[in-house]
Amino acid sequence: MPVSDVIVAGVGLHPWGKFPEKSWVEMGAEVAMGAVADAGMEWTDVEAMVSGAMQWGGSTGMRSGNTIAAALGETGVPIANINNACASGGSLMRAAYAMITSGMHDSVLVIGTDKSPKGYFPSVPVLADEPRPPVDMVRWQVGVPNPAYWALEMRKRMEAYGSTDEHLAQVKVKNSRHGSLNPYARYRKAFTLEQVMASPMVCDPLRLLEICATSDGAAAVVLVSDKKARRLGVSPLVKVAACSLASGEFGDPTIRIPLLAAASDGAATAPLLSESRLAAQMAYEQAGLGPEDMDFVELPDNSSWHELQYLETMGFCDPGEAEKLLDAGETALGGRLPVCPSGGFSSFGEATMAQGILQIVEVTWQLRGTAGARQVEGATKAITEVYGAQANNSACILTT
Amino acid sequence: MKQTPVLEGAFVSDPEPALVGSKCRSCDTVAFPASFTCPNPRCARKDVVSTPLSRTGRLASWTTVHFPPPPPFVAPDPFEPITVVEVEFASEGIQVVGPLAGASAEGLRMGMAMETVVEPYYSDDSGEVIGWKFRPAEGDAGE
Ligand SMILES: [Zn+2]
Repeated sequence: MPVSDVIVAGVGLHPWGKFPEKSWVEMGAEVAMGAVADAGMEWTDVEAMVSGAMQWGGSTGMRSGNTIAAALGETGVPIANINNACASGGSLMRAAYAMITSGMHDSVLVIGTDKSPKGYFPSVPVLADEPRPPVDMVRWQVGVPNPAYWALEMRKRMEAYGSTDEHLAQVKVKNSRHGSLNPYARYRKAFTLEQVMASPMVCDPLRLLEICATSDGAAAVVLVSDKKARRLGVSPLVKVAACSLASGEFGDPTIRIPLLAAASDGAATAPLLSESRLAAQMAYEQAGLGPEDMDFVELPDNSSWHELQYLETMGFCDPGEAEKLLDAGETALGGRLPVCPSGGFSSFGEATMAQGILQIVEVTWQLRGTAGARQVEGATKAITEVYGAQANNSACILTT
Repeated sequence: MKQTPVLEGAFVSDPEPALVGSKCRSCDTVAFPASFTCPNPRCARKDVVSTPLSRTGRLASWTTVHFPPPPPFVAPDPFEPITVVEVEFASEGIQVVGPLAGASAEGLRMGMAMETVVEPYYSDDSGEVIGWKFRPAEGDAGE
């Protein structure tokens, strides 16, 4: 049994976009101090840090937590730097969550800061003396960028359920409307169906506006024990009711980025996106809540395919039913289950270290009732989930 | 011209073009590319041998990539969209992605028979890089 509840005491968010004049260190330090101040704490009160190991930042980026601590003033606290691809933010949350539920620490600062290459995420260089090229090199020679993996799944979905190009576009129309209400979002234009349908095809059936961009972004949260939260006078108490982490299962038919094969659909012994289904199930179990209890969801809308698929993977509807929820307006703000009221990665873009933490910041604001024009009225429970390359996933349930 | 495989041991051209994976003699799990071990977590013996995959499979999905991927992809200039296909090899219980050969995406339909071929991916000063591709099989009626 956990020795303490976990409370979100403070959050910090940097606007997302492209910031060539600003270092990821400055962005990370800014959100870190923002979250610490929001918690009513001092920098020197932070007991431990976890930070995203940002591959695009070279060796100091891989130790981003230490780099930021050195900038803000080293205090000797334990710092862990973690990389789990786009699931890094969730993995950081999970690590911090465990430190508090175990009673190891009363406060942990969670930081994700990231500057991304433009366009497709490229491969990361590897040692030249490996006996064989890594599969991540081979898949690029074959010519399979990340969105191609998603497009392959989407075409199967169209074949199985009759999903259309309009469904894919409507996901963007909805999320862009949400994003237009968020001052931190990179893209604040509400697109029409015609505009989305007129955007260039990238990996058919996925169009440019139906795939999230690669962004610069940063987000931080301070998690504390219930004891510390009382001492700080945190109100309202936004509780992390669950924080899971799962990896893929053998027999999953999903062809994983950057792999070249998977179990065939006919021979599959695990579900599509097995890690994501598991992470959601674990979170529901841990919180003692189900999908029907959620007031809204922040899911990984890396592409329009993801939004449709994750509604099913996270247990909100049966296979092939996600398009119906979308058509009925149930997933829009004002609907029964708003999906990505923040505007999602569709409006923010991907910053792989920070995007999972961005979701926690949004849910915290929503549960505090301070989300402004995009407020989900009366929301008290929500779930977040990310999607990480090579089968990593984490889900968090927050309640108030 | 010197020919270099995109991944040593992943395919053969003789006697006929085919992908080469690994197969566990204990639990029959097939992996591609070949692995040094068996990826089945419940398999304790993990006794793998090299195995050619069936020459022909069924088209499970496809997508056309309209923007050139970054290096190490070698994009012709001007770039022509490339089609990536996913082919299911039912008897091996595996699906594999590869470039489409010998057809355009317009002619594709789900479930059609696809056969493995070995063709150049690109050439540069040091010669030609060759790899596997999939093309619609002769006389396919789609089942
Ligand atoms: Zn085996």
